[in-house]
Amino acid sequence: MKILIIEDERTLSDSIVEYLDGEGHLCEVVYTYHEAEEKIDFYQYDCMIIDINLPDGSGLDLIKLSKEKSISSGIIIISARNSLENRIEGLETGADHYLTKPFHLAELNAHLKSIHRRISYSGSNELVVNEIKLIPDEHIAYVNDQKLTLTKKEYELLLFFLSNKNRIITKAGLAEHLWGDYMDSADSYDFIYTHIKNLRRELLKKGCPDYIKTIYGLGYKFDLT
Amino acid sequence: MRLLTKTTLNLLSISLFIFLFGVVAFYYSLRIQVNRNINQEMEKRKLSIISELESAHSANKPPVNQNEIVLISPLDQVKPRDSYSDTLIYNQAEKRYQIFRQKGFVQKIDNREYYIQIFKSLEETDNLIVRIVIIMTIMVFMLIIALLVVNRYSSRRVWSVFYDTVAKITRYDLNSHEEFSLEKSDVSEFDDLNRVLQAMTVRIKNDYLNLKEYTENASHEIQTPLAIISSKLELLLQSGEMNEKQYKALADAYEASIRLSRYNKTLILLAKIENKQFPESQTVSPEIIIEHQLENLDDLIRDKKIEIIKRIQTGVNIQMNPYLAEMLIVNLIKNAVRHNITNGKLIIEVNDRFLKIANTGSAGQLDTNLLFNRFYKSSSSPESLGLGLAIVQKICSLYGFTIHYSYEDEMHCMQINHKVNTDSL
Repeated sequence: MKILIIEDERTLSDSIVEYLDGEGHLCEVVYTYHEAEEKIDFYQYDCMIIDINLPDGSGLDLIKLSKEKSISSGIIIISARNSLENRIEGLETGADHYLTKPFHLAELNAHLKSIHRRISYSGSNELVVNEIKLIPDEHIAYVNDQKLTLTKKEYELLLFFLSNKNRIITKAGLAEHLWGDYMDSADSYDFIYTHIKNLRRELLKKGCPDYIKTIYGLGYKFDLT
Repeated sequence: MRLLTKTTLNLLSISLFIFLFGVVAFYYSLRIQVNRNINQEMEKRKLSIISELESAHSANKPPVNQNEIVLISPLDQVKPRDSYSDTLIYNQAEKRYQIFRQKGFVQKIDNREYYIQIFKSLEETDNLIVRIVIIMTIMVFMLIIALLVVNRYSSRRVWSVFYDTVAKITRYDLNSHEEFSLEKSDVSEFDDLNRVLQAMTVRIKNDYLNLKEYTENASHEIQTPLAIISSKLELLLQSGEMNEKQYKALADAYEASIRLSRYNKTLILLAKIENKQFPESQTVSPEIIIEHQLENLDDLIRDKKIEIIKRIQTGVNIQMNPYLAEMLIVNLIKNAVRHNITNGKLIIEVNDRFLKIANTGSAGQLDTNLLFNRFYKSSSSPESLGLGLAIVQKICSLYGFTIHYSYEDEMHCMQINHKVNTDSL
């Protein structure tokens, strides 16, 4: 996927690029509103990651601009502002997702994957990894064409793992993905463990190898290698 | 005691004191003066009587006068001295004693000494003196009352500026966005006071706003470096070239950065509530929010096998900001679940007057004074931020809800009266 990253904080955009490069995406980075405007004018991107607070303008205006040009790129906003109004404003302007800083790179990646699926398989929206098949629209997962019995949280967990396969995902990242801000991270770790245990059991039962590796003290990895 | 009352009382006591002495002194000086006049008159009368007696060559018939009695008696061996005195004489006609002034002197008539007494009635002059004193008293009383009234009235007018200032300072809230202005006064002291106060509040407010702006900006600016830290740590985790010890250190650092960011987000939220940056309000249904939150916390509730008892009146609506309504209920329910015990109970009661959340818990009665403080933590859960109830309280005070904590039947009980809201907004 071709991705344009508009973020004036160079170290942060470097991190994003590094993480996304590993996923095989082609990333371009600009640091100002002006540069971004030019890029959007000349090139076509599958997705744009936009920071709202740019030194010479607002990221929201960039979104409006690209919508006016009926550019169909997916848009993810990353912003330090986390109020509901900012969120609603961003999403109403036409962004697909709104992430507040600091965010987990795995979370950003998961959002990119969902945009990727929307763009690439318009219609049949499926995610296939080896013997696992996910149909995100219906919240159903199959292994070797057998339907998995998963709770909502377990399904979300699997989707998150598949979006970030072969990556170490921290427990904090998982917790925030599953419960958002509503549960304090320390509380949720036990439940992550329970959900992962159930998910693993269900996958093994349907004849799937044990992909989920526990990384001591840190988190988990959906290891396909 | 109010200054006005105090000065009035002082004035009153001093003037009464002076007046009392004044009246007594006045009475006696008047008396002395009158006596002196009468004495002089009697001296003249003495001369006229002497000449009369000498011309008449007879002491047998003294002249008669209504207000005057003249007694002439032959003198015995004892020779009395000339004297003045006051004496009472019985008046046959009016059947009462009357006061008379008496002058006695010795006069030689026809080679014989007689003692002559002149009695002059003091009735009329006495009446006059009493009348004068009474009139004086009334006048002075009226004068004092008039002075007091005028003083009170004018003082009240003069001091009204001062009281207004005091009232305004009492009500003054640094967080309010109202202009702080004090009344003008024609008394230069008060004017000075108000000017100084006004200058001071402006300075304090500016300092406060600067500080607030600084902390808010700092909070916002911290988010980006935090994003950098956590993203770099996440990348480092992916590199996969570390031993277990290094991973552990990394994990701790990562965890800390996330906690810092949570703190920061919450503090920003608190600041925004204080700044009233959630102006829009709409009708929100607590029931929907509660259901949603119970679903969110389902894992925790099932893990602790908490029994949920809902007494939710349907169709209850609260007029407030939807995000704040959610924060309010989330924090209350989260606390009630988190501090609950295994096989505990959670009672949620909603009606058109209040919202009440009660839960079983390990700790006994909590200290109400500390409960709503920022960073207050019970020892049982060191991981919590300790900001949940601070948020709840801020939201309540923003909307004028009252919040009440109690510990009854071994349950911690939080009650929020949201009724005021519907009237005031």
